[in-house]
Amino acid sequence: MPDKSAFSQSVQRVRIWYVALLLVLIIFGIRLFYVQVIQHTHYESAALSDQFKQYQIPATRGLIEAYDSNKAVPIVLNQQLYTLYADPPLVQQPDKDAAKIASIIGGNASQYASQMRTKNTQYVVLAKKLSAQNSSQLLALKLPGVGTQGQDYRVYPDGSLASQLLGFVNDSGTGEYGLEQALNKELAGTPGQVKAVTDSNGVPLAATKGNIETQPVKGDNIVTSINLSMQTQMEQILKQEYQATKSQGLSAIIMNPNNGQIDAMANYPTYDPSDYQHVSNAALFENAAVTDDIEPGSSMKTLTTSAALDQGVIQPNQTFYDPAHWVIDGFNITDIEQDGGPREQSISSILSLSLNTGATWMLMQMGNPGGTQINQKGIDAWHNYMVNHFHLGQPTGIEQGYESGGYVPPDDPNGPAQGLTFANTAFGQGVQLTALQEGAALSSVINGGTYYQPTLVSKTISSNGKVTVNEPKALIKNTVKSNIGGELIPLMQNVVTTYLHEGFAFMNFPSNYMVGGKTGTAQIAQPGGGYYANLYNGTYIGFVGGNKPQYLIVVFNIKPNVPGYAGAYGGQPVFADLAHMLINNSFVSPKTN
Amino acid sequence: MWPNRSVASRRRPQVQQQQMQLGRRKHKPDYWLLIWCATLLAIGLIVVYAISPALAITNNVSSNYYVGKQVIAIALSLVAFAVTAKVPLKTWRKAYKPLLIFAGLTTLLALALPVNPLYPAHRWVRLGSFSFQSVELVKFAGLIWIAGFLAERVHSGTIRSVGKTFRPLLIALMALGVVVAGVQSDLGSTGVLVVMMGTMAFVAGLPMGRIVLIVGVVLIGLVLTISATPYRRARLETFLHPASNCQGSGYQACQSLISVGSGGILGLGLGNSVQAYGYEPEAANDSIFAIYAEKFGFIGTMILIVIFGLFFTRLKSIAERLPDDFSRLLVIGVLAWFSTQALINIGGMIGLLPLKGITLPFISYGGTSVVFSAAAVGLAFQASQYTTYSSSRKNTPEDPDNQRRDFRDNTLRRASD
Repeated sequence: MPDKSAFSQSVQRVRIWYVALLLVLIIFGIRLFYVQVIQHTHYESAALSDQFKQYQIPATRGLIEAYDSNKAVPIVLNQQLYTLYADPPLVQQPDKDAAKIASIIGGNASQYASQMRTKNTQYVVLAKKLSAQNSSQLLALKLPGVGTQGQDYRVYPDGSLASQLLGFVNDSGTGEYGLEQALNKELAGTPGQVKAVTDSNGVPLAATKGNIETQPVKGDNIVTSINLSMQTQMEQILKQEYQATKSQGLSAIIMNPNNGQIDAMANYPTYDPSDYQHVSNAALFENAAVTDDIEPGSSMKTLTTSAALDQGVIQPNQTFYDPAHWVIDGFNITDIEQDGGPREQSISSILSLSLNTGATWMLMQMGNPGGTQINQKGIDAWHNYMVNHFHLGQPTGIEQGYESGGYVPPDDPNGPAQGLTFANTAFGQGVQLTALQEGAALSSVINGGTYYQPTLVSKTISSNGKVTVNEPKALIKNTVKSNIGGELIPLMQNVVTTYLHEGFAFMNFPSNYMVGGKTGTAQIAQPGGGYYANLYNGTYIGFVGGNKPQYLIVVFNIKPNVPGYAGAYGGQPVFADLAHMLINNSFVSPKTN
Repeated sequence: MWPNRSVASRRRPQVQQQQMQLGRRKHKPDYWLLIWCATLLAIGLIVVYAISPALAITNNVSSNYYVGKQVIAIALSLVAFAVTAKVPLKTWRKAYKPLLIFAGLTTLLALALPVNPLYPAHRWVRLGSFSFQSVELVKFAGLIWIAGFLAERVHSGTIRSVGKTFRPLLIALMALGVVVAGVQSDLGSTGVLVVMMGTMAFVAGLPMGRIVLIVGVVLIGLVLTISATPYRRARLETFLHPASNCQGSGYQACQSLISVGSGGILGLGLGNSVQAYGYEPEAANDSIFAIYAEKFGFIGTMILIVIFGLFFTRLKSIAERLPDDFSRLLVIGVLAWFSTQALINIGGMIGLLPLKGITLPFISYGGTSVVFSAAAVGLAFQASQYTTYSSSRKNTPEDPDNQRRDFRDNTLRRASD
């Protein structure tokens, strides 16, 4: 028989144990008081920092359209694709999961596995741009810590067409370059807002008060003024001529001189916007026709002539004495090809023979009609025309990213070699223009004196269907008097016929069309000062029309390797191809009489 | 048929006499035990019901899925309770061998069967949609075996013997350590088992020196286990520096403290838990205390602690008034089981102990835990019918009634002979 003391010892031990248990429970109570009452504010804010989420619901980006005949069709669309991500701490079996993922979307399973083992992160991207089907297959696996996320991607049904003027949309949904950058705000729309207590996946909890949720507003659709057929053919022409002229970069614009709308605008080489990530040379993203300014060379003389005609210091049919060279500020100004020596020349031949001495003479007339000296009055007048009439030295304001303003030398009476500087600008050196600036400026002469802001937008359609037509915007009125265009046009037509007679057969246009132009062979400034001896840019500015100019064409050919003048052999054939294309496709209305 | 039955039948006259004795001395059971137990079950069901929509979203099941399964588990637990409360204690005592064998086989099955990739430890026996946590059966079988084993040693006076008492206990501990802590990596349940066995041995009168030795062995084992497994080291590290790694290994610890702390004094209200929406891992099972604390605040947690305290107090007062060694050890084992499991669970949630993947008895969602907890309560409930009215004979040594009620020697000792 066990003794009584054994039993009482047993009961005593029960009690000892029980008291210990009660003590622990009391300690737990104290701890709970500390955590729930004293530290409550701390944990409440910790909870909110996890639970309260503030994020944006992305808005669907607006489409970009262009004209196919008279109908606007989308050239930039959206497609929802999926990003596959993992939350490494939640992944249970990286190797098995990775193998399953690879069996659906391909790729390297061991790489997925190692990504899923990444330390100290809750978000690693395993794959991008997955189809909706792949995404739902992956979600059906219900892999812990693995999910997909929808994201709109731009789709380009016409491939690389117009890519540089369109730009692209980067991974964070922001437009870069071209229209996408310039009109990012309009295209992007307004993202929706969520400020709410959410579950761990970010879905707002219905029960919580004070949640704010606004729906996103879709971005505007932009209907561009681009004519798809024209743009397509222009890009083919640029590609051919780029190769034919061994060019290092070719840009061209076809615009309507009567309202500033761009019908086609392209550069070569270009890139595929759907694969922009793999473009190594960022310069390819730029729409060089608006972002790159160069010294335009003699095509500038069309503007110089217009300014001189407008001031009434020259008459279109007069002659003047050309000494074949001028000495300005100690430097000789000669013509690029010295043939004939000093003699009487016509205004017309300033353009057709591209006389630098003639352009310089016109600058002299601006200061002192009949004189043979450059004075400050003439410089002031010419500078005023360049900056305030022709809107040079400042961006045109077209809807493009990274537009360049070009360069007009400052009008500083005390500056060194002012005479030489501005004599140079009269024939397109020492002044820098983009193709678009030159086109917009000459348009204003041809259309009778209105500088329209160049634009790529025909109309804007907001998400609620409201259509806003982009009316032509006259930035400057009376750049030149209304009759000056009529005086300049025959001078430019004469240039075309002169080249035709010199053997440039491609400059032969049907007689029921009016075609005029001006070449430019521009010296290229060397970084250290001075100009390259054997490198030139070829430019061309011209128009095509019937009764009146209907299209204005600008061509900038960068450093072509041609057997003659860069303007005549590098710029002019591109112009000719484009003009023929416009005529052959009946884009131009022929003369009616 | 239990193998011992034949032995008992041969001694039928004596057994009949004992049963008569028992029957005569049987009195009203302790209904308070049931009331507190039912209260805890009800609280658990309410919380599971309240967070069912959140769990349904997170786990992609219908919103009644969890409540439905819990109601079925509670129904099953009533059956288990009825069985353990009705089948006489001495039958249970005699049945320790088949119970142990069954528990062992179940554990082997859990080790052999393929695991759910979400819960890679070999803790579950899964047969179709039915799943079963083997360690709960081990706890139940161990409880009955140790109570019988120690009662017999007390009776035969060999409780202090190294060879007869101490060594078998140590061997059992080591087996548990290897299988449950080592292979199943269930340190929490191992802790419950060790404390349960230790408490029973302590109450049975094992010398303090031996108990200190056992504690030492367990501590050494614990240190070895923790230092040998990287994730346990990380958990310990997390426990010591909880804020340092809230996004990684400390995620659950941090989220649990956030749940508990954000409840404040009054709590967010029954329907307003946010943490259940995917933040708190295992919101219905291991972490249900944290969700409860978030919903009901400090007031709620105090009420729950008090209810647990009252429940434990009932078990303690039953145990100390049981004159018979087996039933007293059995009830103290039940008390140690529930209290240790509750403390390990709650302690992890409030940052006093490292997190362990074990349930909060009666509250947590999970069929196996509820069913075996109810079975254990059934044993205690049955035993409560045989208490004496004073807790110690020391106070009333001359009470003849006490003498007569002392059926330690002639009843249960024989049952284990």
